[in-house]
Amino acid sequence: MTYQAPQEDLYAVPGGEASPLLIARNVTKYYGAMPGCLDVGFDIWPGEILGIVGESGSGKSTLLGCLSGRFVPTSGEILFDRADGGGLTDIVNLPEPARRRLMRTAWGLVHQNPRDGLRMGISAGGNIGERLMAAGERSYGRVRGAAEDWMDRVEINRSRIDDRPSVFSGGMQQRLQIARVMVSEPRLVFMDEPTGGLDVSVQARLLDLLRVLVRDTGVAAVVVTHDLAVARHLTDRLMVMKGGRVVEAGLTDQVLDDPQHPYTQILTSAVLMA
Amino acid sequence: MADDTSGEIVRVEQLSKTFVLHNQGSAELTAFAEISFSVHAGEAVVLHGPSGSGKSSLLRILYGNYLPSAGRVLIKHRGAFVDIGACDPRVTLDVRRNTINFVSQFLRVIPRVATRDIVMDPLLRRGAAVPEARARAEAMLERLNLPARLWDLPPATFSGGEQQRVNIARSFVHISPVMLLDEPTAALDEANRAVVVELVSEARRNGAAIIGIFHDDEVRKTVATRLFDMAGRNPLAA
Repeated sequence: MTYQAPQEDLYAVPGGEASPLLIARNVTKYYGAMPGCLDVGFDIWPGEILGIVGESGSGKSTLLGCLSGRFVPTSGEILFDRADGGGLTDIVNLPEPARRRLMRTAWGLVHQNPRDGLRMGISAGGNIGERLMAAGERSYGRVRGAAEDWMDRVEINRSRIDDRPSVFSGGMQQRLQIARVMVSEPRLVFMDEPTGGLDVSVQARLLDLLRVLVRDTGVAAVVVTHDLAVARHLTDRLMVMKGGRVVEAGLTDQVLDDPQHPYTQILTSAVLMA
Repeated sequence: MADDTSGEIVRVEQLSKTFVLHNQGSAELTAFAEISFSVHAGEAVVLHGPSGSGKSSLLRILYGNYLPSAGRVLIKHRGAFVDIGACDPRVTLDVRRNTINFVSQFLRVIPRVATRDIVMDPLLRRGAAVPEARARAEAMLERLNLPARLWDLPPATFSGGEQQRVNIARSFVHISPVMLLDEPTAALDEANRAVVVELVSEARRNGAAIIGIFHDDEVRKTVATRLFDMAGRNPLAA
C-alpha cells in the first residue's frame, strides 16, 4: 500500500477559546539558598484541570503558593487573563490591593485543612455568603438563597445553615469550604490536597462532587496532590515534580499508564493495586 | 490511479513501541516495530495475533494513552489530521471528546456514582439536555439487559459481567467516528455478546471506523471487514 504525504495542516484551536487563562513561565522560588521550585512553565486554559504530583519536598506546594499569590517567586512570570479586556496581567508585580481583589473575585483557594479556609466562628451560611457580600451583594435574601443553593450542591442539609462548621465532620467541613469558594463563581481554583486527611469513603464522595462541579461550572483548576488516584479521576493534565523541577508532563492517563521518566516510573509502580 | 483516501480516518505510519524500564537496568521491551496501515470510515479492522503481540499497546497508542517510540499515528479530526502522539494534551482530549472512543472490558469510575449517571455522562459532556441523555442512557441499559432496579445504584457492587455491560452502555451511548475496542465481549454470556456484536456492526454501518481486538472466533468473523495480522510484527520476538 502506498501512502500520500500527510497533510500538515495540524489543527490549532480545540474548544474555540482564544487564549490561556494563566501562563506560568520559568517560575523559580528560592528559600534563601534552598530551591523550592525551579524553572516551571505551563499554560492553563479555561475549563482545564491541571494536576501536580510529587512527593513531600518536591516543590509542588511552593509552586501552588507562587501561582495563587501567597508567595512571591524569586524569578519568572505568572500571567493571568483578568477578562476585563486588558489582556494578560503579570500578577507577580501586581500591587497588593489589585491582587487581593483578584483573589476575591476571579480565584478560589481550597486548603487541605478546611479550618484554614473556613471561619470557624460564624455559621455555615455565613461562610458561604461572605464572599458574595465582599463582592458587593447587599440583599440578605439573595445571600441566604445562594447559601442554601450551594449547601444543596455540596450535599449539606439546609437545616444546618445556622450551625457553625466546628460541629461538622471533616468531610462536611471540606464540602462547606468548597461551597464557600465556588459561590462567587471563580474562573480558576487552586486546590491543595483537597482530599487529604479524609477517610477513603469520604474522599470518594468529595472527588465525585468536585468532578461534577468542574463539569457543570467549567471552572479551571490546579490540583496539588500526592494521591495518583485523585489525579487520575480529577485532572486532565499532569505535571510530575521532583527536586523542585517538572520531570514529566502530559495527558494524565498517558503519564500514569506509560510513564517515560525514571522517577515517574517509580512513582506509578509504588502504588498498591486497589 | 490515485488511491481514494477521502474516507481515510486513521493512518498509522512506521509505528514502533518499545518500553524502557529505567528502574530495572533500563531493560527494553519491544511490543512491535514498524507497523503501517490505514483505516477508512465504515471499516472494521480486527487486530489479530497471539497474546503478547502488542495488540493492546497499539490500541492504546491510537488513543493517546501510550506514546509511540517511533513513527506516528494520524487521526482525522475536525477535517484535518492530528498527530496523536505529538499534539498538545488539550488537542488529544478534544480528539477523545469528538472523534475517538476507547472501549475496554473494565469499568473505571468513581465508586459512588449511580449507573444511570455513568451512562449519561458522555452525553452531558457533549452538551445534551438531561431528559434526552437520561432517555438514551436508559434505552441503552435496557438493551444490554441491565435490570432497571440497578440503574440508581453505583456499579461497584455489581458482578464483573454487569460492570462490563455498564461500561459498554457508557461507550456506545454516543458513537464516535473511531471506536477502539479492547475485547469488549470477553466474559459476557452469549445473549449479551450478541448485543455487543450488534452494537459494533450498527456503529460500523453508520460510518464509524472500528479497530478492535476480539479473541472469540465467532465474534471476530461477524464483526471484521478486514484482519490486520500482528504476528511477526516484533522483530525481537522468538
